[in-house]
Amino acid sequence: MDAAIGIRVNDGVIVATSRACTRSITILKPDDDKTRILNEHNILAYTGTSGDTTQFADYIQGNMQLYSMREGVDLNSKGIASYIRHELATSLRSRSPYQVNILLAGLDKGDAPFLSNIDYMGTRVDLPYAAHGYAAFYVMSLFDRHYRPDMTLKDGMKLLKMCKAELDERFPVVFKGFQVKVVDKEGIHSSELE
Amino acid sequence: MSQDPSTYNGGSAVAMVGKDCVAIASDLRLGQQSLGLSNDFEKIFHYGHVFLGLTGLATDVMSVHEDLRKKTNLYKMKEQREIEPKSFANLISSSLYKRRFGPWFVGPIVAGLNSHSGKPFICGFDYIGCIDFAKDFIVAGTASEQLFGMCESLYEPNLEPEDLFETISQALLNAVDRDALSGWGAVVYVITKDKVVKRFLKTRQD
Amino acid sequence: MQVEYALEAINHAGTAIGVLAEDGIVLAAERKVTSKLLEQDTSAEKMYVLNDNILCAVAGMTADAGILINYMREEAQRYLSVYNQDIPIETLVRRVCNVKQGYTQHGGLRPFGVSFIFAGYDDRYGFQIYTSNPSGNYSGWKATSIGANNTSAETLLKQDYKDGINLDDAKKLALKVLSKTTDSSKLTSEKVEFATVQLTKKQPSLKIWKPAEIEKLLEESGVQDENDDKEDKN
Repeated sequence: MDAAIGIRVNDGVIVATSRACTRSITILKPDDDKTRILNEHNILAYTGTSGDTTQFADYIQGNMQLYSMREGVDLNSKGIASYIRHELATSLRSRSPYQVNILLAGLDKGDAPFLSNIDYMGTRVDLPYAAHGYAAFYVMSLFDRHYRPDMTLKDGMKLLKMCKAELDERFPVVFKGFQVKVVDKEGIHSSELE
Repeated sequence: MSQDPSTYNGGSAVAMVGKDCVAIASDLRLGQQSLGLSNDFEKIFHYGHVFLGLTGLATDVMSVHEDLRKKTNLYKMKEQREIEPKSFANLISSSLYKRRFGPWFVGPIVAGLNSHSGKPFICGFDYIGCIDFAKDFIVAGTASEQLFGMCESLYEPNLEPEDLFETISQALLNAVDRDALSGWGAVVYVITKDKVVKRFLKTRQD
Repeated sequence: MQVEYALEAINHAGTAIGVLAEDGIVLAAERKVTSKLLEQDTSAEKMYVLNDNILCAVAGMTADAGILINYMREEAQRYLSVYNQDIPIETLVRRVCNVKQGYTQHGGLRPFGVSFIFAGYDDRYGFQIYTSNPSGNYSGWKATSIGANNTSAETLLKQDYKDGINLDDAKKLALKVLSKTTDSSKLTSEKVEFATVQLTKKQPSLKIWKPAEIEKLLEESGVQDENDDKEDKN
């Protein structure tokens, strides 16, 4: 019942993930971090079966760090998205596929804001805004109505607040709010949704 | 909830033969069942001068495209020429059949002109590689039934490129409007001996 | 030890030259005509396309080269499948050199008797030239040579190469150096192979030149005339 939301704006990308770590009807942890920093300008957010998620995210993180060491250059966002897709698509036809959905947020080549939606099968689409989990049904229509291509990070945060308000009102499951991370020219930082 | 992989993401494609030309077109939607995700998901690819429409499970659409890109690139370097439509059709057929017992859930269609004779070629496949040679039109995807209907009534042989464009566009547009899983924009390629014209179509957004 | 034999063998193979220009790269190579009875292959046998952005020239045992070229083509396509972008030049060079190095360590197998000049373009470092040898070492160059007379070719290149040279001048330089280091008195399209890397519409484009095009280039460059002068003096 976890959620991940991403918004690509003019000067960066925002990712928000639900804070609750849930098992069955119990919240085990109220401050879970469902993101991994891959390199200076790229961050990954995940939802899915617990165990698979962290295992897979750590694997991707490790391999991206390995790539940077071997090549002396960070892999760009498009390359990372393709790599993750490739791993998931390969995994899908294995004995036990990873059940992990990914949002990849970054600045492609350290410059162009980039957001990619990759599901557990390896279906990849690059989008201006995206969401995983049941939350997607609520927030996608909000984005369709209010998203503008010329938005700034500040506008993006406002839009994210609208998403939270909508989910708080209509979504029956408590997910202990959002953890918000922002990628911009300066790098990756945590942010708060007041 | 439907568990059929071939209708999970939605999407349709169609190809037609004209006079010394061929056309191939697809919609642009990608969804997860009823939820639309992208209106920018093109299902037409090309390998040299041969065009391929790929419908079905989106992850397999991408995987099959990547596999064929690899094979045609190696073919190009070894043979020192681009692959021809008929050879490409057989390459697809054997690639899909090789995975007979763990198939890609795709519905491919091929369109192209032979680079020597200029002869138009189209064909379609089932998801395990059985080739369906046709001399008029080929359909694929979640709106394939609607496309059959539209093509049967609109198609006529030996159309000039401009008329073929109109025919294939109307066939696709009106077919996807009767399918909830297809639509959200469309792309049409008209292929003649010396040029390829790509056009995007506006469609209903529901 | 075997590596030294392999390196020595390559020093008798036909010369290949690479020149890096600001707007492209030239590769030129001498094809040794061993017997006039031998059927002349009209297609290039020392220049190979490895990927959309990389080609190479070969010096050494052609059969060994074939194995490595196949490996590199597959490796480039594997990278494309995973990352959806062309493999960086150095990445491919490093991978093939890892294979080459492997054969220097194990007993019972001989090393690959091949040196390469790689020419390519990527958005990391732009146009690049690398060479590799049977030991598995590789290095990057502005202008370089492998095969017979490579030291004298490199001396000539060192004399005449200027930073910021353009592709047309690089073509002339490569042919000039090749004509001086080659044993035969006159360069002909039968004896020369030629390839270029360029950017067209910001995308790398590779070209392995056809005999007729080489013939025309040889005429235009005036290299043959200079050679004729040399002949006269002798």
